[in-house]
Amino acid sequence: MNCEVCQLKELEVEHFEIREVLRCILHTIVFHRALGLVRPKDVDLELFEITYVQCGDVELEKKIDEKIDHFISWVEKHPNKKSQICLSFYEVKSKQPSWFTNKTERLYWEQWYINLNVTQHPKHHSSKSHHTKLVVDPGESATEERSSRRAMVEASLREVLFQIIKFVNEKKDHVPPISEGVIYFPYEITIPSSSDSAFGMDMIKRMLHSGHPTMLS
Amino acid sequence: MTSTHTNSHTEAAKMEQVITEFFYKSLLIILESRSSYVSSRNYSGEQTVSSPSSSSSSSSSVRPRDKWFNLALRECPSALENLDLCRRSNFEPVVVDVILEQKPLDWGPASFSPTSDLVRNLSSKNKNSYFWNSDQQDESGSEMKCEKIIERWFVQNESRKGRDCNSGNRRSSCNNLSALYKKLILMLRSLYVTVRLLPAYNIFRDLNSSGLICSFKLVPRVSSFVEPLTRKEEVDMQRFWFTPVDTSCGRLCLSVLYHSSISDMSSESSTPMSPQFIPDYVGSPLADPLRRFPSLPVSHGSPSSLPFSRRHSWSYDHYKASPPLVSFSPSPTHSESNALVSNPSSLGLPPMSLPPHPPETSLAHKRNTNFDEYCPSPNFSASPSPSPSPSLPIYIPWTHLSKALLRSESAPVNIAAPKLANTPALSGKQNLPPCPPLKITRAGTSRTDNIRVPAETDATIEKIFSFGKEDCWKYSGVKAFSNSSPRISCSRSSSRSLQDDFDYSEFPCPFDVEDGEMMDPGSRKSQDAAVGALVRLLKKAPPLRQNVSLNFSEASRPEILSNSIPKQSQILEAVTVEYAAAPNIASFRLVASKTTTDALEELRGYKVMKNLLLSEGGKAYTSNVASAAEHSSTSKDRSIL
Repeated sequence: MNCEVCQLKELEVEHFEIREVLRCILHTIVFHRALGLVRPKDVDLELFEITYVQCGDVELEKKIDEKIDHFISWVEKHPNKKSQICLSFYEVKSKQPSWFTNKTERLYWEQWYINLNVTQHPKHHSSKSHHTKLVVDPGESATEERSSRRAMVEASLREVLFQIIKFVNEKKDHVPPISEGVIYFPYEITIPSSSDSAFGMDMIKRMLHSGHPTMLS
Repeated sequence: MTSTHTNSHTEAAKMEQVITEFFYKSLLIILESRSSYVSSRNYSGEQTVSSPSSSSSSSSSVRPRDKWFNLALRECPSALENLDLCRRSNFEPVVVDVILEQKPLDWGPASFSPTSDLVRNLSSKNKNSYFWNSDQQDESGSEMKCEKIIERWFVQNESRKGRDCNSGNRRSSCNNLSALYKKLILMLRSLYVTVRLLPAYNIFRDLNSSGLICSFKLVPRVSSFVEPLTRKEEVDMQRFWFTPVDTSCGRLCLSVLYHSSISDMSSESSTPMSPQFIPDYVGSPLADPLRRFPSLPVSHGSPSSLPFSRRHSWSYDHYKASPPLVSFSPSPTHSESNALVSNPSSLGLPPMSLPPHPPETSLAHKRNTNFDEYCPSPNFSASPSPSPSPSLPIYIPWTHLSKALLRSESAPVNIAAPKLANTPALSGKQNLPPCPPLKITRAGTSRTDNIRVPAETDATIEKIFSFGKEDCWKYSGVKAFSNSSPRISCSRSSSRSLQDDFDYSEFPCPFDVEDGEMMDPGSRKSQDAAVGALVRLLKKAPPLRQNVSLNFSEASRPEILSNSIPKQSQILEAVTVEYAAAPNIASFRLVASKTTTDALEELRGYKVMKNLLLSEGGKAYTSNVASAAEHSSTSKDRSIL
């Protein structure tokens, strides 16, 4: 089975926009891969005029929020850095235990790379608060600049969502069959670790599990 | 052979059922996100469907139709109505046009009449025609509204000619069916997300969430055959294709033409009116300058004598705001209430009853409440405000609104004097003319503190209020001012006359409003006018004798300083002393020491005393004179000794 990889368009976001942007993208992807019986839940973004869809699973929502929190913590330690979040879907295959590998094997059949460039606004007061959503900038020019920037981010986010839709529509054959009682496919969210070497180790681990090189183009 | 044929027939039937349900599901997804009142938006059904462990228990909460394509949505009546269309149209495209319909309304002053479009639309039976059906036409005339197709959805099954749909063995058919089903699930997931990303969804969301009246609405129209869009229309639109899914007999296609700049259209349509100044709004001076309050009796003087026959300017502001409320709110946040009211029966909802009174009455009620804070006058409140309107300020017929506005006029202000309530003259409080929003209670409660000159208590004030209804306001206003102005002092100069006492150049103005007082300019002017009239009246009075005024002021000073209510005997004594000095009764004038109000009180007290003296026939006078003579002789003897 091939592992389809989708590199999403890079988004330039500010710190306070990370949570909403990531929630939107991650839930949209997972909703497309939650092929079990779902009752969709519409969520309106507060910062943008965009409504995304969740599959309505509370546990899933909690796990995604945890990962986003970890990512935000990482961004605070590594400001002004481009970062990448990887959402992978896999199948669990049993395998004969060996010296290096476990009994089960993860076969990744799809990977989504969310590329973010977290920028710090020059007049931003605090970048530490997770919940800071408003930036108070004096002057009309700053307000206009902020609104135009916000519109650009919204347009870019919309492009990313359409990119997801197109990818889902164009590539359907690699999706595994739906199991009875399973709402969504097993997934894994990988965020950058504290050090780049650790991030590289994660990639190596994934390669050992999957058994084939991961495309990182 | 027979079994194979049966199996293939079964498979074909299943395929057809899958395709039919796909049509229905896709219609459902489109319509429920474009119809004003039916939406799966956060449909709070059982969320346990997502839990694998509880799937068995949650199955009861999921309707059978929800399980198709594993997407549980709310039922959509229009989709159900068009299900037959889907069944018939397995090989014909189903087209869903999402129309942005705007009803232009002329809100100029000339056209703002009870027979405006508001009432007409409410009573029209045909306003509910086109919401779900594309067959009926709006009999009110297409010229009344503008329609624009903002989205056109195509759902079709392109048949593959020249190929046996039932070919293939059973296993491949099964695989095909499961694979097809999976792909259709993915396609419908994409459709569900896409309908919420398109610009028309923002309009739908605003219509659903907002409770305001809007001048436009979204109207989905389902049909099999539509006229192709004009080139001009298509130029402004973009197309989005969903990847077709191959079936055994063809392929299922889904696409959409949509306007990308619909937000501009909605914002333009949300402001159909340019700001207009309405000079003759309800309650304006131009409309009815001398409108009397309904609670005022007619016999209370001429309207011109009442300073407050005209409502205060601030009360006008409230009603000035009413026409925009009645008119369609020119904001993008429009609600389905308009559609609901105009097309109540078409939406399958129970008709929404209009509020008994427009929402302005609640504001009027609030205004009156605020007014009462200044002038607590329980007997003179406004005509009882009707029940508050519902939270949605929806359609309000002009006739209802005008009546409600007349009903909810602000109350005339009463001269509230709770301490004086025992006086008979004040029993009929509703007959009192309005007064400015003064803290009249202070006049009553702090009467003992503020009276500068010996004055009668309740009887005096009773006299004041019994002078005449048309003159009450003059005195009461002055009285209020006097109590609030502690700077007024007694007349100390013997050379002063009564007229001089009211010389504003010498005295600090008794009618100065202190900083803490809250008064609107209108009432202040009226009070000033009242005071001025009183001053003129007093100026016309003949001046007091110098010695009389001097003696009286000296005698009364202790009472003033002690802030005690002078007793009747003290007044008698003072009057007696003066009488001894000037036997002329006519010259007995109480000097208006500090304020004209106090002077009037003194005058009244003098009158009472005079009556007493006359009634006793000088008996008391004689005894007092004798006692006064004894007292003076005793003091002389002591001084000599």
